[in-house]
Amino acid sequence: MIEFQDIHKRFGEREILQGVSLRVPEGTVQFIIGASGAGKSVLVKQLVGLIRPDSGRILLDGEEITHLSERDFYPIRKKCAMVFQHATLFDSMSLLENVALPLRKHRNMNDAEAAGHAQGMLELVQMGEMAHRMPADVGDGLRKRVAIARALTLEPRVMIFDEPTTALDPMAASHVDALIRRLAEEQGVTSIVVSHDLRSIFSIADRVAMIYQGRIRVDGTTDAIRHSEDPVVQQFIQGQPEGPMEL
Amino acid sequence: MNGKDSSEPMFIERLGAPLGDLVRTLREIFVLLGRTVRTVASERADRREVVRQLFDIGVESLLFIGVTLGVLGVISLYQGCTQLERVLPDFSRAGATYLATLVREFGPVICGLMVATRTGSAIAAQVGSMVVTEQVDALRMCNTDPVRYLVVPRFLAGGPMLLMLTIIGVCISFLGGMLTARIGWEVPYSTYVNLTMVHSHDVVMGVLKSLSFGYAIPIIAAHAGLSAHGGSEGVGAATTRSVVNCSFAVIVLDFVISSSVYLVVN
Repeated sequence: MIEFQDIHKRFGEREILQGVSLRVPEGTVQFIIGASGAGKSVLVKQLVGLIRPDSGRILLDGEEITHLSERDFYPIRKKCAMVFQHATLFDSMSLLENVALPLRKHRNMNDAEAAGHAQGMLELVQMGEMAHRMPADVGDGLRKRVAIARALTLEPRVMIFDEPTTALDPMAASHVDALIRRLAEEQGVTSIVVSHDLRSIFSIADRVAMIYQGRIRVDGTTDAIRHSEDPVVQQFIQGQPEGPMEL
Repeated sequence: MNGKDSSEPMFIERLGAPLGDLVRTLREIFVLLGRTVRTVASERADRREVVRQLFDIGVESLLFIGVTLGVLGVISLYQGCTQLERVLPDFSRAGATYLATLVREFGPVICGLMVATRTGSAIAAQVGSMVVTEQVDALRMCNTDPVRYLVVPRFLAGGPMLLMLTIIGVCISFLGGMLTARIGWEVPYSTYVNLTMVHSHDVVMGVLKSLSFGYAIPIIAAHAGLSAHGGSEGVGAATTRSVVNCSFAVIVLDFVISSSVYLVVN
């Protein structure tokens, strides 16, 4: 169980999060939606200590992790992996070295062991044959797959996906969606997915929370969201340019 | 009431804002320096990455530094000998004077400014683009300290490589001057090559300057890169900030080291 309790976060003059509270049950696929700049990525990055909240509490399995030091976050980052918006492969390393890096760092494997394990992970996402290519030599969709393989190497219990299907073609996006669903169903992995992709949301989400004006506007099942009477929610999910939403 | 909008910053606030920024930047740079030194002292650096940086900062800058200082040697001796010819046509000290100036001032400062421009901007652009594309966050997710991975190798490579570049640059510049003096004013090589005006404190000053510039530039440039935000515009701004801050640091350190050595010697 992951809990965000009354999270506040300010950047300069602007208070992005103004008391966000959210509970993510174990093994669910929780989507977080909202307009650009609403603070979705800021919220999920706080779970792994990449951004620290100004106030509020974050609990992982009942244990408070809000004020852990950078070093104390190391074991949390083993449990909770993150796939970033830009795929974030390290340009100076081959695809194989990118996937092997967390194994060398978190599990202290030597180069050969880590490479063997990483090759297996790349094959899982159908990238085994391209293991020795450099990130610049493959397209966005393939880079994203490698980033997912890298995140999965440590067998995390929680996966955070920040806009996983942005800039992907529909086929590649469906692959990623299927993978997220499979992780939840077959391995019980809890996934928190930041996304604008309505097709993904309504096909694989268990729950959806919408951030609006720094707070959770709605949190419920996909059906509850689809039938919500809140005009702000309806405007967002129907993608209407005119309506009550203030951008 | 003076009828002005109360939210408009007062004159003193406007005056203080850049000063506040400068103090904050200096504090952040010193914090980064402290973290880097602590990491160097407590953890083994990535040797492969250090070697790569030695090559990038040193070998890759060699042609740039060599040509710049060679041309500077030619121009300096041409100007110097032209003036000498008008006042007292005695060229016996031309080489000795130029060498002393090169060792304690020109060599390290010009090399420092060149490395600040070439390497400082490259470091800021590399680190800045890693920040805005979340690669630095991804490093942290892999339990890799960005300071250890990105800053330490550049810091360790910067000092020795700037010293090496300065030594080579001084030699090339001195040779360029020697050829100019010989061709333009028929100064014999044996007269030009005169080490009597280079004292031990000149050498100490030159070495101190080279090392301090070499260690300062990677820290200042990495700080600019790490504080980048936004997209490509943020990386561009970080690169500009790096070149300005590194060049300014070279000038300030030059002044501090020169005055300190003179105070000690005299």
